[in-house]
Amino acid sequence: MIPALTVYHLLLLVPAPALAAFMVLGLAPVFLHRRLVMLIALAGGTAPLLAMTGMMGLCLTGQCRGVAPIFTLQVGTAIVDLALLLDPLSMITGMTVTLIGACVLIYSIDYMAGAKTADLRRFFALMNLFLAAMLAMVLAGDSIVYFLGWEMMGLCSFFLIAYNVFSDPAVAAGRKAFIMSRIADALLLGGLLLLFIAAGSVRIDALIAAGLALPEGQRTVIALLLLGGALGKSAQLPFHTWLPSAMAGPTPVSALLHSATMVAAGAYLMARFAPLLAASPDVMLVMAVGGALTAAFGSMTAIFQSDVKRLLAFSSISQIGFMLLALGVGAPAAAMAHFVTHALFKSLLFLAAGDIAHSAGDDTSIAAMKGAASRRPLAFAAFTIGAASLSGLPLVTAGWWSKEEVLDAVLGSGGAGRALWVLALLTAVMTAIYAFRPVLIALKPGPVDAHPHTPGLATRIPLVLLGFGSLTGGLLVGPVIRLLGGVHPEMPAYSVVVAALAPLTGLAISWQLSRSPQLADWLAARRLLRQGLQIDVLYQAWFVQPFQRLVDRLSGVHGTTPDPFGAAPVTMMLWLKRQLIDRFRSDGFDSGWMALAGTATPLWAVARRSQSGRARDAVMALAGGTAGLLLLGWMTA
Amino acid sequence: MTALFWLAAALFGIGLFGMMARRSLLFQLLSMEVMLAGPALAFVAAGAARGDAQGQGMFVLILVLAAAEVGIGLSLYLRLSRIADVSDVDTISDLKG
Amino acid sequence: MSLIALILLPLLGGVAALFAARLGNNAERWLSVGVLGIGLVVLVAACLGGSPDPRWLAFSRTPWAPSLGVQLLFAVDGLSAAMLALSLGLGMVAVFTSWQTNENSGLFHAALLWTVAASNGVFMSFDLLVLAFFWELMVVPSFLLIALWGHGAREASAMKFLIFNAVAGLGLLGAVFWLGASAPIVTFDAFELAKLARPAGVQTWLLAGFALAFVVKLSVPPFHAWLPDAHTDAPTAGSILLAGLLLKTGAYGLFRFPAMLFPEGYLALAPVGLVLGSVGALYGAVMACGQTDAKRLVAYTSVAHMSIVLMGVSGGVHFALMGAAVEMVGHAFSASLLFFLIGAVYDRVGTRDLRDLGGLQRTAPRFAAVFALGFSAVLAMPGTANFLGEALVITGMFQVNWIYAAIVLTALVVSVVYATRLLKEVVFGEPGPKPVTQDLGSRELSIAVVLGSATLLFGLLPQLLMTPFTPAVDAVLASLEAVRR
Repeated sequence: MIPALTVYHLLLLVPAPALAAFMVLGLAPVFLHRRLVMLIALAGGTAPLLAMTGMMGLCLTGQCRGVAPIFTLQVGTAIVDLALLLDPLSMITGMTVTLIGACVLIYSIDYMAGAKTADLRRFFALMNLFLAAMLAMVLAGDSIVYFLGWEMMGLCSFFLIAYNVFSDPAVAAGRKAFIMSRIADALLLGGLLLLFIAAGSVRIDALIAAGLALPEGQRTVIALLLLGGALGKSAQLPFHTWLPSAMAGPTPVSALLHSATMVAAGAYLMARFAPLLAASPDVMLVMAVGGALTAAFGSMTAIFQSDVKRLLAFSSISQIGFMLLALGVGAPAAAMAHFVTHALFKSLLFLAAGDIAHSAGDDTSIAAMKGAASRRPLAFAAFTIGAASLSGLPLVTAGWWSKEEVLDAVLGSGGAGRALWVLALLTAVMTAIYAFRPVLIALKPGPVDAHPHTPGLATRIPLVLLGFGSLTGGLLVGPVIRLLGGVHPEMPAYSVVVAALAPLTGLAISWQLSRSPQLADWLAARRLLRQGLQIDVLYQAWFVQPFQRLVDRLSGVHGTTPDPFGAAPVTMMLWLKRQLIDRFRSDGFDSGWMALAGTATPLWAVARRSQSGRARDAVMALAGGTAGLLLLGWMTA
Repeated sequence: MTALFWLAAALFGIGLFGMMARRSLLFQLLSMEVMLAGPALAFVAAGAARGDAQGQGMFVLILVLAAAEVGIGLSLYLRLSRIADVSDVDTISDLKG
Repeated sequence: MSLIALILLPLLGGVAALFAARLGNNAERWLSVGVLGIGLVVLVAACLGGSPDPRWLAFSRTPWAPSLGVQLLFAVDGLSAAMLALSLGLGMVAVFTSWQTNENSGLFHAALLWTVAASNGVFMSFDLLVLAFFWELMVVPSFLLIALWGHGAREASAMKFLIFNAVAGLGLLGAVFWLGASAPIVTFDAFELAKLARPAGVQTWLLAGFALAFVVKLSVPPFHAWLPDAHTDAPTAGSILLAGLLLKTGAYGLFRFPAMLFPEGYLALAPVGLVLGSVGALYGAVMACGQTDAKRLVAYTSVAHMSIVLMGVSGGVHFALMGAAVEMVGHAFSASLLFFLIGAVYDRVGTRDLRDLGGLQRTAPRFAAVFALGFSAVLAMPGTANFLGEALVITGMFQVNWIYAAIVLTALVVSVVYATRLLKEVVFGEPGPKPVTQDLGSRELSIAVVLGSATLLFGLLPQLLMTPFTPAVDAVLASLEAVRR
């Protein structure tokens, strides 16, 4: 059944170009020239932005709530009706994703110039597929399309982390990311299906309505399952360990998937289901506390990093913690505002770091950033802007405005909110410390360019665009919050002042750190903290190794002992054979017959004597026998 | 009539005695011919007494039988004479149990 | 009558293939493809032809031995039609995959066609004695396929396959005889037998006999021991038929007959099925993680997926049953695709040991791309029919008991572990000591594309499967509902 077309069916055009580009690049079995590959990838990466801009126009002219049904299917008593959805939330998220996606794909043209054509094609195919999947998830009006996009993102993430298929660590990191996020996905799937059973429909609004009608206990369980899904995808405690390893992927991948868009999808999920979660205060509290703890943990660990990409990874963990904190105190609008600004400045940071690392011979350590200010002034400037926005320097940066909203929302929630606010302030200080560490090191004189080609237009455009956004994005925060129907709480003046002072304090500490070699050495020596309290090692010992031992016990090391459970029926049958059949091997019946036959032996010894072998004896016996018979007949007659 | 039956019985008895007493295969064959003559005579005599031609018909059957028996017997005799002593059949006792 | 042609065509085609092999020029292969193609046409025609009974797409009843109560009673609904199409289509795929098998290829194709013929018989017989006949018949040609054209310890594996399935088939045969004899007038007509009331205890025992045959064929632990061996040592075409047809006959049987004939027995034994299935789903998945032989690994994934099918079939709710039916189709394609790909690797390098493989990405990019597709299907990515099936089963399990749902979700997580391992060892990394130097040819590529796009097609357009399956699912639910009330 094909529903009538409406203007909202134009939403289909948003993910379509990226999907088409994936199909051509990834599936068409024809040779494509290198330039053609880049052209297709670029078209697939930028066209969604144009389409989405059109939808934004629709949205701003007041038609910002529409559904585009795709198809409807009756399953038993339930109805599966797939649809795309345009509302302020999906519009804002979609715009952010398409913008970042376009920037990163443009940047990749230059960044991936060194790759072989086949690898390039694979890379761009996957990036486009990712973009299509993410947009499908963002625009989904039902849980099926939502989960489709959600899972496809995970798949692309796996393939892109393991992009360098010859490197064992990269492949291992990809598997780790995939397995951990699959655990979270299973939780999410469980939650979505439970809602589906309750609602008899897959439309998200119907799911939320049905969820709200459920009894308290079930609703809490479902909310927890959804939260679990969000925590896994967003690399929050306790699922965070996959994200730092995921930095094994190429830098554009880290910029697009593992900071700005995909990992923030958890926040989007929570914002999507915000009305349902709001009805479970316990879950909200768990989310807020978890978010705050993750934010603090991530920023603290980031301080001790020696690698820029890992630093940024922990920073992403921490910033998404902020978003979940805001969601937990019931301010999804603030969270999504932070999502937008975070996407801008975090992708900027990654792209700038990638360019700087290129100039240092693909060395991503912080130490290798020395001299970046002179080698790559544009990238350095971009990185500085990004760092300023990340730490939230007051007024001039986008990060300050959105973080301010988050902090105000936390403080305004009262109760436990005050304690969380203090924790968040502390996190803000630490954020500034780690954000500026690479910047200050980059200012120091360093070696000359190892890779002396001036970055092309494809590198510069995204850097400038995103840098501009990171500075002026603050102007968007107000409208975004209004569009999403959030309200700004009235705050006491002291809170604004304190919040503005926090990043400045951090900047001062960072300055001090960079000037004192002893402090820097002390930082470098804290291995435990650098490795994020070695939670990875714990997981290895608690989950991975027991599983490996289970596998080894069942199938033997390298599959040597085959299958104890499968062998069980075989063993049982063999036992039965021993008990039943083998007992009759010395066959009782047979020996009975043999004994009977044995008694005939002496009889035979006598009887054989009659057989003389002489013909005359035989004749005599015949004659005697006949005579005897005749005699018998005559006598009895 | 009765005498003829006695004669037939005597012929059969003589033949049987010859079969059992003589060791030479050739004489045993001769004795068998004599034995066959006994019942043949009895059939003819009985047929003549009852005026029934079936007795003579049975005599012809016995003649055919005797001719066949002689043919097979003599050929066996020739074969055996090449591998064994046919003057003493008691030595040919391969079927001894 | 045209339904009988679905059995006779491949049966006689097999005999003809024996002789056609002498003609050369791949005569026996084209003959097999032609016979199966005609079969598909006949199937479509029969389904479109209509039947007096709206419940069935096609129906035919021919007396055969009335004194014994045996008749040729065939009926096809959406589920049967899908299974028949799968059997004919995968038969064609199997012919194309073994285009290079030259040794005694007349008998090879005959065995292949006979397997298809026998499973076609299973998929539409409603005379239970005829069903049991085809059930046993199916084992013989597949036994030949493994024993004569297999690798490694093929005789032992073939014997294991034969013993497991033949012994389990006795359960079916015994129960069928009992049923037939218990009727007032001896009959094996399933529709007639379904109308007779029986005490619940008797139903349970009879169902146990049926289920033994079906579950062993479905290879649910602990009755799965024959499957990894048979798959490992079978030729590629044999593996495809095993995974695509033979396992499905078990699933089909469980779907169709227990609820129809023994509704009370079904309710009594459903918990057993659920427990067996959940143990099997986890066990198969964990075992798959430990294998070093690529084909064995995929065989254990089959065990896991078929266990999920068993759970769905035992669930007794709409979603679970529908999910099991969809998963049957999805797994047929995904497992065939993986077996085909691994077979293609084996043909090139002569090993399936994961430690010796690797580097397809570098040496054979097309291979790698198709492998990634099979990989996505085996770990049930949304968009594949496998996901659709498993998600529906999970939904149904939530309605039965959340613990079973949690188990299937766990199996879904473990599936990532083995699937990524397979991908890592075969596709990623540096090429091993025996690199695959030759990429997929056009024949192989088209097979892979057909199998892969089928998986995606049914995943993205679920109504293609779910609409035709609805009558069969509803029939099961109706007979259960009659008892529950």
